[in-house]
Amino acid sequence: MATTLTSPTPARGAAGNAPTAGRQRRRSGGSASGSLLTILTWLLALVFFAPVLWMVSTSFKQENAAASTPPTFFFEPTFEQYAAVLAQNAGPYFANSLIATGVSTLLVIVLAVPASYALSIRPVKKTSDVLFFFISTKMLPVVAVIMPIYVISGRLHVLDNVWTLVILYTSMNLPIAVWMMRSFFQEVPGEVLEAAQMDGAGLMKTLRSVLIPMVTPGIAATALICVIFSWNEFFFALNLTAAKAATVPVFLMGTMTSEGLFLAKLSAASVLASLPVVLAGWAAQKQLVRGLSMGAVK
Amino acid sequence: MIFYPLLSAVGQSLYSAESRLDENGFVVDREVFVGLENYAEIFVGAQSERFYNALANTTFFTVVSVALETVIGVAFALMMNRAFRGRAFLRAAVLVPWAIPTAVSGLLWRWMFQADGIVNALSGSQVLWTAEGMAAQAAVIIAEVWKTSPFIGLLVLAGLQIIPEEVYEAAKLDGASAWKQFWAITLPLVKPALMVAVLFRLLDALRMFDLPFVLVGPRKESVETLSILAWDSANQLQYGAASAFSIVLLLYVSVIVYMFVRLLGADIFQSDATRPQSSRRRRAVSPAPRPAAHHQEETR
Repeated sequence: MATTLTSPTPARGAAGNAPTAGRQRRRSGGSASGSLLTILTWLLALVFFAPVLWMVSTSFKQENAAASTPPTFFFEPTFEQYAAVLAQNAGPYFANSLIATGVSTLLVIVLAVPASYALSIRPVKKTSDVLFFFISTKMLPVVAVIMPIYVISGRLHVLDNVWTLVILYTSMNLPIAVWMMRSFFQEVPGEVLEAAQMDGAGLMKTLRSVLIPMVTPGIAATALICVIFSWNEFFFALNLTAAKAATVPVFLMGTMTSEGLFLAKLSAASVLASLPVVLAGWAAQKQLVRGLSMGAVK
Repeated sequence: MIFYPLLSAVGQSLYSAESRLDENGFVVDREVFVGLENYAEIFVGAQSERFYNALANTTFFTVVSVALETVIGVAFALMMNRAFRGRAFLRAAVLVPWAIPTAVSGLLWRWMFQADGIVNALSGSQVLWTAEGMAAQAAVIIAEVWKTSPFIGLLVLAGLQIIPEEVYEAAKLDGASAWKQFWAITLPLVKPALMVAVLFRLLDALRMFDLPFVLVGPRKESVETLSILAWDSANQLQYGAASAFSIVLLLYVSVIVYMFVRLLGADIFQSDATRPQSSRRRRAVSPAPRPAAHHQEETR
């Protein structure tokens, strides 16, 4: 299981060498210490993942096995819990979550990339004020924010409306997206921009064909963060939605509060609820490894 | 949209909803303007003991969990940045803790931490994790670190991926050890991304609410944070006091964030932060910009 992909001697200077190939050799010194590190990585990840495994295994149990003391490790797996969750008509909740998450993430990226580019490449005197202004929205406890937002939404008649969540999630994630993207833009060497300018590339051209490909891992990470934050946002969703616009976290808590604490069922629902995020993580991590930076400066 | 909640909280914090006797001796439940009385109450009055305890808890949780998350997150990022079989799977898998809503993962941890739960069964101990005291604090920190390390890991990993390979090649030619490469190259280059990740963790950790709330419960001295205190006051219809707590928390958060940025993340704000980096790169990437045009041609 634990083998490294360290290839014998790299053809270093070869221009046609894919960037990923060079990347894969990074930091994986000798192959012996490399596989040791790999084992260590798997072990650490396993420790980290253990609670999730426990949750997944519980989701295949009967309720009484899930609540048993001492905990049972061997049992006959059942899909009963999943069937029960799916029978609860979770579809609309997932649809709401998909809209709120998808649209807000898209908006955040479309707004954050130009904003952070402007703040990092062409800073002005007030840049730091602007940046502080962005995060000032993250300093008040959510408990204190919810009342006024509830009142505003009520007056605008947008309570229980999924587009209210879209707006809230966009404004919730925009600060972190701008800050993150800015730090990634700052990693781009100045020469790249100078070179592009010398070639007579305009602002849009530079942004589109030079900068964005270079910071793709950053964009992927930022988008993933936005997806996760909006996907599991609970407080706004709970307080501002009712039957129509409720999202997956509300559904999760609903499975539990209305009928007491059914652990196996809650586990099954949580597994289902985190599947889209795992898929998004899978998609994003492909972009994460495709760092084009080295090609650009060569 | 941004300032209305803030202004309304400030305004609210100057009022008190306590029932008072008016001039005619009737009980009124109206909100009364009390000026700074809510604040006096917090710092020196009846609420002060609870407030200072919550302040200490908030600070303790923030410092310990953010420090642990940073170390674990960076370690994860470095490990995941290497090539090994199954890393695509691991990268997606470690995100799961973060993908579960905090309220739900709080419940799951509460169940794992209960007296006859899996944690005690596996470790052979009899710790009451979800009662009061050190064990409860440890439980909150474990769950918090477990949940949010992937966040820092992901951001640092993205930062690592943007570092050009050439930077390391020069160091390898110079014979720099892996340890030295990490401190001299990797860390300085990832620092902006890392600082932003830590900053946003600070912002969230200082406002920590759902995890101790669900895992241990409200009105537990050892895990009560400022956000929980604000919630508890609001829950008892003490909106004035709740808003005052929120404003104090806001000020506390902004002071911490300001100090953090000034002390540690100075280069977050230096617009020319890229200069020393790019000069380092210029050395690493010798015959500089010319062929960049070539690459551009390709991307077109």
